[in-house]
Amino acid sequence: MSATAKVASRVAELWQKLRQDRLLSLGSAATGVVILLALLFFPLDGRAHADWLQFFGRFHPLLVHLPIGLIVLWPLLEIMGTRRSSLREAAGLVLYLALATCLVSLLFGLLLAYGSGESGTTVTRHMRGGIVLALELILCVAVRSTLLEINHSRAYFVLLTAVLLTLAWTAHQGGSLTHGSGYLTKYMPPTIKRLVAPSAVSSHPNSFFSKHIYPALDTKCVACHGTNKEQGGLRLDSFESLMAGGKDGIVIAPRNPDDSLLLKKVTLPPSDPHFMPAEGRTPLTPEEITRIRAWVLAGASSEASSVPGIFIAGDLEEPPPPVGDYSALIGEIRQMQQSQGAKLVPVSAKLSDGLILRTTDIAASFDDAQLAKFQRFAPFIVDAELGRTALTDSSVETLVQFKNLRALHLEDTALTGRSLGKLTSLSQLTYLNLSATKVTRDALAPLKSMPNLRHLYLFNTPAESASSDSGVRSTQ
Amino acid sequence: MKQHPLCSDCEDKITPMDLPIPGGLKKEWAACESRRQFLGRSGKVLGWAALASLFGDVSLHYRAFASGPKREAASLGNSLGLPHFAPKAKRAIYLFMSGAPPQVDLFDYKPNLAAQFNNDMPASVRGNQQLTGMTAGQARFPVAPAHWPFRQQGQTGTWITDLLPYTARMVDDLTFIKSTNTDAINHEPAIMLMNTGNMNAGKPCLGAWLAYGLGSMNDNLPTFVVLQTKTNPKENNQPVSSRLWSSGFLSSEFSGVGLRSVGDPVLYLEDPAGVNHEIRRKMLDAVEEINRQTLAEVGDPETNSRIAQYEMAFRMQSSVPELTDLSKEPQSTWDLYGPEAKEAGTFAYNCLLARRMAERGVRFTQIYKRGWDVHDNVVGNLPVLCQETDRGCYALVTDLKRRGLLDDTLVIWAGEFGRTVYSQGGLSQDNYGRDHHPRCFTVWMAGAGVRPGVAYGETDEYSYNVVRDPVHVRDFNATILHCLGVDHNKFTYQFQGLDQKLTSPVPAFVVKGILA
Repeated sequence: MSATAKVASRVAELWQKLRQDRLLSLGSAATGVVILLALLFFPLDGRAHADWLQFFGRFHPLLVHLPIGLIVLWPLLEIMGTRRSSLREAAGLVLYLALATCLVSLLFGLLLAYGSGESGTTVTRHMRGGIVLALELILCVAVRSTLLEINHSRAYFVLLTAVLLTLAWTAHQGGSLTHGSGYLTKYMPPTIKRLVAPSAVSSHPNSFFSKHIYPALDTKCVACHGTNKEQGGLRLDSFESLMAGGKDGIVIAPRNPDDSLLLKKVTLPPSDPHFMPAEGRTPLTPEEITRIRAWVLAGASSEASSVPGIFIAGDLEEPPPPVGDYSALIGEIRQMQQSQGAKLVPVSAKLSDGLILRTTDIAASFDDAQLAKFQRFAPFIVDAELGRTALTDSSVETLVQFKNLRALHLEDTALTGRSLGKLTSLSQLTYLNLSATKVTRDALAPLKSMPNLRHLYLFNTPAESASSDSGVRSTQ
Repeated sequence: MKQHPLCSDCEDKITPMDLPIPGGLKKEWAACESRRQFLGRSGKVLGWAALASLFGDVSLHYRAFASGPKREAASLGNSLGLPHFAPKAKRAIYLFMSGAPPQVDLFDYKPNLAAQFNNDMPASVRGNQQLTGMTAGQARFPVAPAHWPFRQQGQTGTWITDLLPYTARMVDDLTFIKSTNTDAINHEPAIMLMNTGNMNAGKPCLGAWLAYGLGSMNDNLPTFVVLQTKTNPKENNQPVSSRLWSSGFLSSEFSGVGLRSVGDPVLYLEDPAGVNHEIRRKMLDAVEEINRQTLAEVGDPETNSRIAQYEMAFRMQSSVPELTDLSKEPQSTWDLYGPEAKEAGTFAYNCLLARRMAERGVRFTQIYKRGWDVHDNVVGNLPVLCQETDRGCYALVTDLKRRGLLDDTLVIWAGEFGRTVYSQGGLSQDNYGRDHHPRCFTVWMAGAGVRPGVAYGETDEYSYNVVRDPVHVRDFNATILHCLGVDHNKFTYQFQGLDQKLTSPVPAFVVKGILA
């Protein structure tokens, strides 16, 4: 008999003993629970410790996938076990294995966290998640092997669900540690993104900083300069903390990229001891550095939506929602196109892109009453070319019904802006041209609450002379 | 000898119409059949019949399905299904610098050239390129660096010559393509290629394609207007002919309408003495009636264009005077465009008109400025050319921007090719000349559809060959069409057995790198 077989038979023997001795198993389970409960309050002091701790600790990301796989496999076997009892037996084995590997990777995780001096909220959450998971697994084992005499199947089911939920949450925390917190949501379709994560980043979700600077910092820097760790007293997880700098002073000098410590450090040769990101983490790409430099040069604003000289292909505005089906009205629209007067013209061959209300040829005679006739088409009109028409303030009432309106041309009309506040309900409106009207600064105040309104033109109006900019709140 | 009854030039003047065939059929023939059309169609009918029998029911079924509700939807806009996708730009203004501006002196900054003054350009740079007759005989090709300093301007730090102080103020709004290149080395073929996508005359130009494809936004003004800048006799003015704004094989109503730079913008637009507007209307109605009879008889589609043009002219009687009446322009306009803009026919005046046309729904405006053909005396001529155009360009872009029009207008500035880095004729410290150069030239765009503050493409240190991201004229035109919502590959017209398109049958690619 070979030595390994001997060892195996000895282990099996002990195992049998343990299983049969109820008191012993209860005792070992209780000890485990107590130790784990104590670990819940394990202090991560944020200082690095002996190197060998980290050496072993770094195997944690490798090991951790073993219990994950087993824990996912286990309920599957339990479910299939209702048909074939042999699978149910296998489920028991898998559960034991899951518990064992979970404990091992928990140990290595603790070594990693303690050794490297990580101490942020994410690390703590990840650690506690791991501990709770181990506790739940012990309970599962206890319930399954009828150590605990409680309503067996129901408790087991509840525990099983709890284990899976805990696993998902803990694994997500771990993922956020390695890949950054925005890893999952970065390429999420914008519509889902709005539902899932209503931009917690900053108060200006569409700014250049939020869209292009913050994500780069978040993935490449925040692991060491964030809630987990604050290396050098520097945090880069918000605009404010970025601008506040760290122990070595400010890291961003607006309009002065050459004096900005952050840019200096990321552009050092990678072999330099001061090169950032340190410890062989993924360096910033040249593109990211270019963006940061341009952003700093342009004044390092948290609000600006664009930076001169930088354009990002993915930066295209999200496609506007389709306007809905108006095929029933097509006959009427076509008839209108063939006669004199205002016309409805499709934006493109794709009907759902909506309609343009075009009044150019008869602008002078197009008045409030005529506009009112277009109410039936209102939700399908995305662009209303009403410049130089005879419209007055009372038309704003009608325009409010143009729910999908994205561009509104009212230049050169008799508008005073009295009722402009009502337009705030047009959530899609991005372009509003009020040039050469009589609108005043005060009349415009309500429009500030329209987040999508990016192009407001006030050339040659009383409102323009009252402000310093050239009539454009922000362009492009 | 008795002639065949179908022979139309027989002595007895027997035409097919005299044959004993049913009257209804004759009418139908007359309405739509010319000989060419008849022959063409009978050929097609046979072809289709053969194809249909090959495919059996399937293809017929498919065709029936294809003409269902989807088709109807497409024809809501126009029968061509254009624009193919939601466009960024509704209209475009093309500032055409005829004669070819020297990119080395204006935009393509080559700081190392100063040290190369009067050195021979290495033969390897030129390679085996054939030169024009004007410099082919030169013993040497001495490098002539730009005579005027360059400076970095704007937030983007774009290098630009001191000769264009106004353009320098708006570099952040412009998209430069430094790697544009063309196939032709002489003006006429190059300018035809630039405008029509083909060096030979007879193809429709960009404006005509747009007028045909996208249609009018204002029935009272032409869809495509051409403005010529008054020539400066001291400059080397290459001819600019109406071939450049011709509609080619498209119906002639799509060709550019030229507004004259002196006198009445459109000749004979006003009612003659003693004829009031009502009489004019009656007269036009009668003419239209006669034209319709001709159409019924001959069936030439050009008759339709003629009818449309008479009607357009009538509507222009009131719209054009309003367009060209600048008396209501506020002082801020003159502050921006400068006093020159008050004088009809200057470049600045044309730029102001272009802005007014953009406001009034003209789809495509092309302004020609001649005189950039600086074969000699660059130092004497170039400052004048720049001074004539610089402020107008700046004023136009700025004016469109402050009025909110740049959001849906594309402005294009281009010549037909570039100019050589080496001097044509003698090179001295004070003067030099530059010959035609098709391998690279700089153009710029601004406004809807393109990214501001970008310099695309790169040339070698002699501004001679493109080293990165070449943009052929075809690609350039494809990009312009793209900004206006048109897929250049799908926008075709059958003529001479080809699916003709602006970008020619040679593959062309939209320059994605400059798109917004």
